[in-house]
Amino acid sequence: MKHFVVFLLLMSCSKAFATEQAEEIFKQLAPSLYQIRLIDSASGEKSSIGSGFQISKDGLIATNYHVISGFALYPEKYQMQYLDHQGNKGKLTLKSVDVINDLAIVKREVEQEMDYFAIAEQNPVKGEELYSLGNPHDLGMIVVPGTYNGLKKESFNDKIHFTGSVNQGMSGGPVVNAKAEVVGVNVATSGNQIGFLVPHQKLQTLFKQLQIDPPVTIEQQMSEQLSASQDELVNALLTSPWQSKMLGNAKVPTIDVPFIRCWGNSNAEKQDAIVLSVVANCTLEENTFISSHFNTSTIEMEYQYLDAKSLPPLKFYHLYQQQIKRAGPGNKARKDDVTEYQCHHDLVMPENQTINTKSVFCTRNYKRFPQLYDVLFISGSIDKDKEALISHFTLAGVEQDSAMAFTKKFMEAIAWK
Amino acid sequence: MEIIVEQLTRGHKLISRDKFSNGEVNIGRAYSNDIIVSDPHVCPVHLQISFDGNAWIAQDKASINGSVIEQSNQPVHNHVIESGDIICFGKTMIRLIFPNHAIAKTIPFSPFEDLVDFARQPLIMACNILVFLAIAAWISYINKPIEVTWQHVAAPAIGMTLGFLSWPIVVSLVSHFTKNDARVMYQIGICFIFFNLFVLSSVLESIVYFNTSAHWSIAHLVVVLPISLAFGLFWLNCYIGFHMTAVRRFVTAGVLTTLLFGGSALVQLSKQPEFSPLPSYDATIMVPTLQFSSSSSVDDFVEQSQALFEQTRKQSEQEKE
Repeated sequence: MKHFVVFLLLMSCSKAFATEQAEEIFKQLAPSLYQIRLIDSASGEKSSIGSGFQISKDGLIATNYHVISGFALYPEKYQMQYLDHQGNKGKLTLKSVDVINDLAIVKREVEQEMDYFAIAEQNPVKGEELYSLGNPHDLGMIVVPGTYNGLKKESFNDKIHFTGSVNQGMSGGPVVNAKAEVVGVNVATSGNQIGFLVPHQKLQTLFKQLQIDPPVTIEQQMSEQLSASQDELVNALLTSPWQSKMLGNAKVPTIDVPFIRCWGNSNAEKQDAIVLSVVANCTLEENTFISSHFNTSTIEMEYQYLDAKSLPPLKFYHLYQQQIKRAGPGNKARKDDVTEYQCHHDLVMPENQTINTKSVFCTRNYKRFPQLYDVLFISGSIDKDKEALISHFTLAGVEQDSAMAFTKKFMEAIAWK
Repeated sequence: MEIIVEQLTRGHKLISRDKFSNGEVNIGRAYSNDIIVSDPHVCPVHLQISFDGNAWIAQDKASINGSVIEQSNQPVHNHVIESGDIICFGKTMIRLIFPNHAIAKTIPFSPFEDLVDFARQPLIMACNILVFLAIAAWISYINKPIEVTWQHVAAPAIGMTLGFLSWPIVVSLVSHFTKNDARVMYQIGICFIFFNLFVLSSVLESIVYFNTSAHWSIAHLVVVLPISLAFGLFWLNCYIGFHMTAVRRFVTAGVLTTLLFGGSALVQLSKQPEFSPLPSYDATIMVPTLQFSSSSSVDDFVEQSQALFEQTRKQSEQEKE
C-alpha cells in the first residue's frame, strides 16, 4: 500500500498541473486496476464489461454489483474474467455483494503478494480534487479528474455527488484522492459532468464483513440485504410525519422525507377539457438494480383529482373509470423474477366515513426472494356525482407486514375536505 | 283406386304433388304423358304406373337410363308399389303415396308464435329500433372525452343500428335461399328486442359486479345471462326462418352460441401473453346512486388482501418447480 501513496506537497489550481498529477497517479495505480468482463459461456464472447480495482494483497477486487449481476444470478451462464493493464486475462470468483449499494467483491488467484489500493479513512472535503479511474467503452484505462460535492441530499442510500464524466464502462472503477486513497466507487452518471459514487465506507464495511463472516451463498446474502433495506425504508416512511395536502377538494397524504420528491400538474389551462384533472405524484428517485430487466425498491404515490364541470354523472363516471383501468407497477420485472399479479377489490369506506372508494390491491411474489413482494394499490372515490379522487401507490420489494402497514396508513389518510 | 305422385328434388324437397284416380299414370318427356318431366336423361316414354285391380305396379318402359327403387336399389320391373316408395330415373325422383298413408301429428301453435307475431307489429318494431338507436347514440356520447354535438353521435348511432340490422337480414336471406319463407320483418322484430335485452343484461352485469365486488364467485354467474339471451335469439331465428325438428333447432342454436362465446373466448385467450407484468383487475365503478351494497372497512379490506400473499407465494413455488 505504501508503495502506492504519492505524496504531493502542493496542490495547484493550474489545469496543466492537475493533468500531470492525474497521469502520475494513473501510472502508479495501473497494475491494480482491472477490466472486469462477463463472458457468455455458450458463445465465448464477452457480454458486459466494467472496471474493478484490487483492495487486498491476496487478490480481492472491488467492482460494481451491476457489472457482475449476470454471474451472480446465472452462474452457469457466465464466466467472470479480469483483464489487467498488461493484457493478461484470468478467472475470477465471486466472494460477496452489496446489492443495495451496488458493490461486489471478486477474487483472482495470485502467486505472490500484490500491490493494492488503500481505502481512505476519512471523507473528502467539499471541493476537493478527485480522480475517477476506469475503462469506458472498452478503450483502455483512463483517468477523469473531478470535484467532490458532498453527499446527494435526496438519496436514501448515501451517494457522493461527483462533478466529472463518469461514463458507463467506468462502473466499478475507483475514485481516489490526491493521496491515491479510494474515497468512492464509480456507479452512475446523471448526464453531463454529474456523476454519483458509492462512498468508501460502504466498501470498507463489505470488505471487513467478508473477512469476519463470509456469505453462505450470494443469493442468501442478497435476500438478507434486500429484506433489511426494505425494512429500513418502509420504517422510515411509516415513522416520518405524513402531511395532508389539498388536491382540489380532496386531502391526500405526502410523506415529509427528503428522499421522496413530489411533482404536480393539471389541465386547468385547457379551455376545451371537459373534465378538470389535477395530478400530484411523489416518488423515491432511486431504485435497486438486481438485473438489467429487474429492479426493485421503487416507491410511487400518485393522486388525481377530477372535477366533472358540467358533465352528467353517468358520462363523468364512464370516462373516470377509464383512468382507473390501467394501473401498472413502478419497477421492471420479467417472468423469471416475479409471479403475475393477484388482486383483491372491494368497496371500502374508512371508519371516519370521510370517503367511499372502490379499492383494488394487487401483489406479486419474487421467485428468487420469496419473502419479498411488489404491491400495487389503486382506489377511486364513488361518493360524489361530479368529483372524483384517484389514489394510487406502488411499493417494490417489500415484505408482507411492511406492505400492509403502509396500505392501511395510506387508505386511512385519504379523505374529502 | 287413387295414388299420389310427388316430384322431389335430389335433396328430397317437394316440388309438386298430384293425385291420380284413373288407374294408370304415364311419366316421361313426351307431351302425351300424365306427368311431363323436362330432365334430358329421361326417355319420352319412361315409366308407367298402373293399377291391376289388386295393387299398383311400376314398370320401366325399356328406357335408356333405366329406373330404380331408391330404398332397395332394384331396377323397376313389374315392381309392386308400397306407399312411400321413391323411384329414381334420369336425374328425377318421385315418391308414390297411397291416400291412407300415415301422416305426422298436427303441431299446435307454440307460445312463441304469439311472441313472434307481437314482435312483428310495426309499432312494436319501430319502438324497439328507436330504443336501440337511442342506446347506440348514448354509448357513442359517453365514450367521447370531448364536447359533443348531436351530429357527433347521430352518425355512429345510425351506423351501429344498420350494422346490427345486417344479422336478421342475413338470416332471412339464408332461409330464402334454402326454400324457406324469408319472414324478414319477423326476424328484424325479434332481433331488435333481443339486442335491447343484451344491453339491459350488460348494465345488470355491471351493477352486480360493482356491488358484489368482494364476492367474485357469485358475481360470475351473471355471465349466464348474455349466453342464454344469445341462445334464445338463435333459437328464435331458427324457429322463424326454417322448418326443422325441435332437436335440430336446439342443436343449431347451441352450436351458434358456442361459436359466438367460445370463439371470442378463444380469441382473447390467444391474445393473452405468456406473462403479463400488468395486473388485471375489475375496475367497474358506477355513480353513487347505483351502489346498493354497503362498503367494507379498511381493516376488512386489508385483512382480505392478506390472503393474496400466500396465493402468490404458492404460485411462485409451483412455477419454480
